[in-house]
Amino acid sequence: MLSFEPYGNPTYFALLGVAMIPLMIGLLYGKRSRLYETLISIFFLVLTFGGPKWTQGIALIIYILYEVALTWGYAVYRKQKNSGPVFYLLVILAILPLTIVKVTPAVENGQASLIGFLGISYLTFRAVQTMMETRDGTLKNYQVMTFLQFMLFFPTISSGPIDRYRRFEHDYRTVPSREKYLGMIQKGIRYIFVGFLYKFLLAYYFGTILMPKLQVMAMHSRGGFMDLSWPVLGYMYAYSADLFFDFAGYSLFAVGTSYLMGIETPMNFKQPWRSPNIKDFWNRWHITLSFWFRDFIYMRLVFWFMKHRIFKSPRTTANVTYIINMLVMGFWHGVTWYYITYGLFHGVALVVNDAWLRYKKKHRASVPHNGFTQIFAIFLTANLVCFSFLIFSGFLNTLWFTK
Amino acid sequence: MAKRLLRIFGPLILAAILVLAVLVSPVTFGFKKVSAGEERQAAVSLSPNVLKGKRIKEAALKQNYVPFFGSSEWSRIDPMHPSVLAQKYHRDYRPFLLGARGTQSLTQFFVMQNIQSELKNKKAVFVISPQWFVKDGTRKDAFAFYYSQLQTTEWLSHYRHDAIDQYAAKRLLQMPVAKSDHFLYAALKRVSAGQSLTSNQRFYLKAKQNMLTQEDEFFSGINMPSQNLNKVNQQAKKLPTQYSFSKLDALAGRIGKSQTGNNRFQISDSFYNHGLKQELKGGKLAGFQKNLSYTKSPEFADFQLVLDQFARLHTNVMFIIPPVNAKWSAYTGLSQSMLRQFDQKIRYQLQSQGFNNICDLTDKSNVPYFMTDTIHLGWRGWLAVDQKVDPFLTQPQAKPKYTINDKFYSQEWQQLNPNELTTYADTTN
Repeated sequence: MLSFEPYGNPTYFALLGVAMIPLMIGLLYGKRSRLYETLISIFFLVLTFGGPKWTQGIALIIYILYEVALTWGYAVYRKQKNSGPVFYLLVILAILPLTIVKVTPAVENGQASLIGFLGISYLTFRAVQTMMETRDGTLKNYQVMTFLQFMLFFPTISSGPIDRYRRFEHDYRTVPSREKYLGMIQKGIRYIFVGFLYKFLLAYYFGTILMPKLQVMAMHSRGGFMDLSWPVLGYMYAYSADLFFDFAGYSLFAVGTSYLMGIETPMNFKQPWRSPNIKDFWNRWHITLSFWFRDFIYMRLVFWFMKHRIFKSPRTTANVTYIINMLVMGFWHGVTWYYITYGLFHGVALVVNDAWLRYKKKHRASVPHNGFTQIFAIFLTANLVCFSFLIFSGFLNTLWFTK
Repeated sequence: MAKRLLRIFGPLILAAILVLAVLVSPVTFGFKKVSAGEERQAAVSLSPNVLKGKRIKEAALKQNYVPFFGSSEWSRIDPMHPSVLAQKYHRDYRPFLLGARGTQSLTQFFVMQNIQSELKNKKAVFVISPQWFVKDGTRKDAFAFYYSQLQTTEWLSHYRHDAIDQYAAKRLLQMPVAKSDHFLYAALKRVSAGQSLTSNQRFYLKAKQNMLTQEDEFFSGINMPSQNLNKVNQQAKKLPTQYSFSKLDALAGRIGKSQTGNNRFQISDSFYNHGLKQELKGGKLAGFQKNLSYTKSPEFADFQLVLDQFARLHTNVMFIIPPVNAKWSAYTGLSQSMLRQFDQKIRYQLQSQGFNNICDLTDKSNVPYFMTDTIHLGWRGWLAVDQKVDPFLTQPQAKPKYTINDKFYSQEWQQLNPNELTTYADTTN
């Protein structure tokens, strides 16, 4: 039985190309075949979750049925009533499987949970967001079949981008005009090829060729202050480059494939390395995730704190929420000291960034602002981010705590 | 619309056609030429890409390079290392080091598959590590690391229907990495069952082989590590200009002494500091090899594959059997009598089939500065190897006569207690 990582090898792309042809001809002639789309979705899902990974496939099916029951149940309930506790309970239930999957390795000596599968986080984000918008009343017309298509949309199932139910539904129910669709094909193909450059050339170079060498060198150079050495610095940059090109490459494949299917899945990266500050960075890096956190954690918490007047000043509210928001993101990556430290680091960075921007605003006359400071800001932000990725990489854990 | 679609897909289709044409085409594109510098670098690089590939090995072995098969000992580059001696004293031959940590007989059998014409009627050196012959034989992950589809497809293009190939296919099928190509896997199943390949399979294998050969031609020279060549050059500077065994032996002793000061095992300081010191703390390693045995292992049959292949190609081979550092084995409890038994068993397998060039160093476990660490040859050990290898490679040798016996593939042989060697020899043929 064949089994593939999504976008993992040439065979996967060849199969993808062949599967796209009938679909594209259909869209060019103004037709969208639900049946065909469902069939190829199932085909690619079986490729990803079948064969030797069939246990993941079973976990996926059970998980999906569970989330459908929750979201559907809540949509029906919400038409009659709107109780806070019921909503909170259902959201907690929706997050429960993900929580179990993330906590299991920490308490079971690194053993993966049985109910886990590739992409469970991203599906949970989609389900929770569907519930939240149902509660807000912005999502009125919940439909099981659309929800299933939204959750199981195969180009983005394993690692996002995290689309929104209503945005997806709009694209899914319409057929783009021929002119528009040709433009989407053009973009889609370009994205996929830039993705090849990112993932199979650049990420390969940084991640597979450079990183292991630097890792060995860094391990050999231990013994100095906190075991730090030049190779550790090199590793930090190589890891950051690998992380970016690997994930941005994958995201380009996912978005490109979506475009070919006539769905405008949102972009995940927007030149993150040119951000002048950390806040801007999060508007450009893993955008669909940070916006999801912004909309469904940050904003909600700020609103809740204000409503209940927990903190006196809006500034404290914002600062506390930054920290909580980023800590949650850290925990989401996994329950290890380095993920949590990474979250805390970014939370603090956002707080400091805010304070600096306020200071700058107040002292506009005395703080210089020119091309040089702009470049310095970009340089500082990029290096700060790379440092946070060094924490994130877990390499410090290896460096300090292995013999 | 057609025009716009052509603009979008035209370049893509053209690129796909070009890539396919390059990969499938049986002609090569002039990348075949390997420079002398590249050969020098590859010969000591110990890079898995060189081992798995074909282009560089083939080109070098057509020159004056001789294949030196082995494993982790090749990375112990001190002034008496074969590559250093050959370079310093302008020998007629240069070693092409094949193998690194984790390569064992099965890997080497496949390595031999795409240098067959370079082995035929030529000479080779082969270091047998007793440590390969553990209960479970070659590690599956190590085998996967050095596994080369190119070598497998090449082997399947010239395999014969006999014990050697059936056994090789069977062993390969036991390795998870064999599943990396589904069609290749199906072909291996037929070979292991003694059936011939279908014409579809032959076609697929041919196309795959072409593709992998082209890939090897384009990419095998990229990213070749150079630090080992630098090491060889540096070490060569420490040697006297004129070769003299007694002077070199004294020098080997002096260098060995100066580099093994900080521990009681006469293990090189850098190796000792590099992890061993940590592990020794708390005495966990004392006696930890008491029950280890190298006498019963599937490796004996894998090794037979290597012998079989050499015999088929009439390669004249010098086998080297290194000892284990006696000070170390006394500490870990590794039995020297078990090592002697291993030696008897492997020598029987070699000599009964006509492989009589054996540089057996197993009685040298107590010679000072013979080993650079626990199990690897160094200084005087390398010099002892040179005493045998240099004349073997530079002087004309009698043509070997091999009489291969398939009994060495049997389970009975793999698990044979060396105490029963005499009865086994008498009752089997």
